[in-house]
Amino acid sequence: MTRRGWVVLAAALLAYPWAVAGSDGAAFLQDMGALVLLAAIGASAWNILGGYAGQISVGHAMFFGAGAYVPLLVYQHWQAPPLLGVPLGVAASLGIALIVGHPTFRLAGHYFSMATIAVAELVRIMVGNWDFLGAAIGLQGPATGRGWYDLTFRSAVPYYYIFLAVLALLLAVTAQMQRSRLGYYLHAIGAGERAARSLGVPVRRYKLYALLLSAGFTSLAGSLYALKTGFVDPDSGLGILVSVQMIITAALGGAGTLLGPLLGAAILVPLQTATNTWFGGGGSGLTYVIYGGVIVLIARFEPGGLLELWHRRAAARLARRGRVRHAA
Amino acid sequence: MKHMLAILAAAMLAAAGPARAADTIKLGALYPLTGNSAPAGQAAKAAIAVAVDIVNTAHPEFKGLPLADTAGLPNLGGAKIEVIDADHQGDPSVGQQQALRLITREHVAALLGTYQSSVALTATAVAERYGIPFVIGDSVAANITQRGFKWTFRVTPIAGDFAVSYVDFLTQMKRSGRKVDSIAVLNENTDYGTSIGGSIVEAAQKAGYQVMRIVYNAKSTDVSAQVLQLKDKNPDVAIFVGYTADEILYMKTLKELDYKPAMIIGDDAGFSDPSFIPAVGDISQGVLDRSAWDAGKPGSVTYRINEMYKARTGRDMDDTSGRWMQAFFVLADAINRAGSTDPAKIQKALRETDLKPAQLMMGYRGVKFDASGQNLLASTYLIQLQGKSYKAVWPEARATATLQWPMTGWK
Repeated sequence: MTRRGWVVLAAALLAYPWAVAGSDGAAFLQDMGALVLLAAIGASAWNILGGYAGQISVGHAMFFGAGAYVPLLVYQHWQAPPLLGVPLGVAASLGIALIVGHPTFRLAGHYFSMATIAVAELVRIMVGNWDFLGAAIGLQGPATGRGWYDLTFRSAVPYYYIFLAVLALLLAVTAQMQRSRLGYYLHAIGAGERAARSLGVPVRRYKLYALLLSAGFTSLAGSLYALKTGFVDPDSGLGILVSVQMIITAALGGAGTLLGPLLGAAILVPLQTATNTWFGGGGSGLTYVIYGGVIVLIARFEPGGLLELWHRRAAARLARRGRVRHAA
Repeated sequence: MKHMLAILAAAMLAAAGPARAADTIKLGALYPLTGNSAPAGQAAKAAIAVAVDIVNTAHPEFKGLPLADTAGLPNLGGAKIEVIDADHQGDPSVGQQQALRLITREHVAALLGTYQSSVALTATAVAERYGIPFVIGDSVAANITQRGFKWTFRVTPIAGDFAVSYVDFLTQMKRSGRKVDSIAVLNENTDYGTSIGGSIVEAAQKAGYQVMRIVYNAKSTDVSAQVLQLKDKNPDVAIFVGYTADEILYMKTLKELDYKPAMIIGDDAGFSDPSFIPAVGDISQGVLDRSAWDAGKPGSVTYRINEMYKARTGRDMDDTSGRWMQAFFVLADAINRAGSTDPAKIQKALRETDLKPAQLMMGYRGVKFDASGQNLLASTYLIQLQGKSYKAVWPEARATATLQWPMTGWK
């Protein structure tokens, strides 16, 4: 993307809460903006391992869950500000990633995906029976904040900017990675693991690096979710749908691209919300029919993600311009 | 880039949905209309639709039920109530988002919800921050009303209330000369069983009963050890808190081992399951079950409500939907007394709510909220399996059949 493109995107994201502030139901639109950014953070974090390195993990809910549980856990048991739990959650996720990464990376392709599902489900069931972690009932955050440090805001705007800052950091790290040795190695691994290994790429080690980076940021997404929602239980924090949502969001926009996950989130979250708003109250289940239908259409006609479509059109435009200049 | 932004902006504006005119009193309802609990949400939605009809049109035949005989709310010049339905999908985050939409976009005067306790916890927090009354019909997790919230009101009984009802019933039996000294509580070992089982044990011990407790796994395929343990101690009453397959297994095992206490009480879930009566109804004659809803005798208010519900859905109304409907009536009554749609005035009116049993369609002892917003007078009926169906037997004022004690079981 050009420098001008970046400036426009950044300005649009920064201005969004103000742009909708005057409309009816501004709070709801600002809340949705925050949810778009949250989905983008989760999907971008997954994208490091699933997109760039091509290792399709369907178990990222365990890192999301660790990030969501630890802040609420320190609040529930020690009345500490949930914010303190955020770095602890990241540490827990990195620990889990080290333990899980070692055996699962021996597997390739679908077997890797299946193993990650199994581990994540195991974690979900364990947590659901563990009283210290709230068991089946779940954990709550401070419902009304005791001070700013509890990060309990009535408006979604503070959350929006916190999420935006984290997303900016994540995208900066990803962009840096793309240009570094790690990025090239991951790209090579994604394109063909055996070929990469034969060219001397230390495949296992670099896959583990990608997993650690990915798990750390996924955990941040979980923490932000818990701070905003103020509640987590085994289904909302560790359910398989949490992982699936990250994958769909990244794949829809374009897995393995920098802005694909953000584009996917900017389409999916409003689509989900709009279909639920219009058809949810009717109770006919039309929400999912339309939501699913759009995903099927995109998968059928633009399997590389929507960013691909945009790249293609940009390329065509460039080519046309070249021809015009040639003729002149 | 420009296209991307345009798509983004269009999608976000579209998500806001259409705005509506504000000439009626708007209330929001959050149900699980999709997902695992969709059937319960759909049933509750139908119950609310029936309740709206009862309040909005004149129904003089519903004697005693507040607001039924007039069209709309008399203190607001006959204003009609409009309920805006929303689907929270059983997801705490979606519940939060939809509560926010109903409050800021639809400008509802109050909210109703939610079935899942997890969603109630997050959605009520949004209402609390915005100062909008939230009336809970059926979510039972104790901590919903233990957070010092000022805008959350819960009409339904919770675990402790069920325990009190059981103990009240047993004490009354004892006073009337039946032998009730020892009680056994058998509960399954997850959230549901342990919380209700624990409350019953506590309440019964406090009332001076000798209590034994058996905790088991609802997935077990053999319960003869537990039944033998029961037979050995021979309690006067056994209270079962479990799911469907395990309760059916218990009834079969009791018969096989030929043991039967004077009375068995089942705590809703397994005993209320539609498959319980076809499977073991013949060998479970006289067991008690709890429900705060009973259609009652033909011609009664509850019977007519059930007829209206049946006309809409083709089924009899169940306990959960009944609790939703009662919550709606409580809210409508408060808005009428407030004479305004100002949330603070509705909150004040809710705090002053004092409904008597004759004004209710559910079997509560009344509706009166304590400082935490919990209904102090929430309770439940006991219904007894007589023949092929359950009949209300306790409290006597609401009974449609006479209690049979001891139970006959399979004889």
